[in-house]
Amino acid sequence: MVLDPDAALMVAFQRGDPSAFRTLFERHARSMVAFCHHFVRDAARAEELAQDVFLKLHHAAPSYRPSARFKTFLYRIASNHCLNELRRGEYGARAAEPHGEAVDLDALPGSAATPEEEAVGDALGRAVAELLQRLPERQRLAFAMCRFQGLSYEEIAEVLEVSVPAVKSLIHRATEAAAEALAPFAPDGGEAP
Amino acid sequence: MSCVREELTALCDGALEPAARERVEAHLAGCASCRAARARIEATLGTLARLPPPPEPSPTFAQRFQARLARQEDAPPRFLARLPWRYLAPLAAVGAAAAILAGVGLRERRQREFLARHLDLFESYEAVASLGDVDEADAEVVAHLHELEDRP
Repeated sequence: MVLDPDAALMVAFQRGDPSAFRTLFERHARSMVAFCHHFVRDAARAEELAQDVFLKLHHAAPSYRPSARFKTFLYRIASNHCLNELRRGEYGARAAEPHGEAVDLDALPGSAATPEEEAVGDALGRAVAELLQRLPERQRLAFAMCRFQGLSYEEIAEVLEVSVPAVKSLIHRATEAAAEALAPFAPDGGEAP
Repeated sequence: MSCVREELTALCDGALEPAARERVEAHLAGCASCRAARARIEATLGTLARLPPPPEPSPTFAQRFQARLARQEDAPPRFLARLPWRYLAPLAAVGAAAAILAGVGLRERRQREFLARHLDLFESYEAVASLGDVDEADAEVVAHLHELEDRP
């Protein structure tokens, strides 16, 4: 069986090579911080959660089987950890400012954001955070993994241990909710057809 | 056709099998409502794509993680840490209480054996009192026991 590079690193770590774990950490640190940030909307707390995930990964390494894709193994740990943290009720999305008005899409961040662009980007970020907070847990996880982390439907199905059609349905419902919530940011200012 | 609506997001994500994609696209060709729904989804995905990037890990992120990892590896053996102390703590408390009770029981048993061996010593109130285990009220009762002997 040909292992993907991450799985090979995990196996090397299982066999006693600590540098393999460091490489895994370096490869996935950024995406883990970003993933956790979608749940807590706080940079410092997102880093702490991401570190927790890697500590759990370190402990869980002996139980890793190369038959499981490393990415889905990692995201399963991360998903469970983020949900557990959220269930403790301590980390809601930060209160969002009202965003009922249509915004100038041209002002959304580009390569060099002006203060106005940054303000619009922040408003969009808060709207998405509020949306995520309202979504049921599985929809939220599926949506975040699909839209922000780039996981495929098949990978998400593995992480959540559900069928691909179930993932399709979760992502569809979450995207419909996003269409509603983010209508003020749409080019036509929310005039959905 | 709600069955096709359910497929529209997967279509926009490129996640449909070829046969399903063909079926949905054929439906879209003749359904303005579903085309509008697809446009709405595409607009939403466009908006999401323009979100500001998430924060980068801070420069000390990796260093702090390595410190946490090192501290954890220096912690007591993992099997101790993995024990479910939430459940074991009450058991440990019960065990400690049992040990105390057993100690008290053993002490009382030794006292009884001591009394049995030296019963003659305790016929004397003064001898008992000399051990310091007699309180004032008991001493008064004992002091007047002889008065009872005179009663019919």
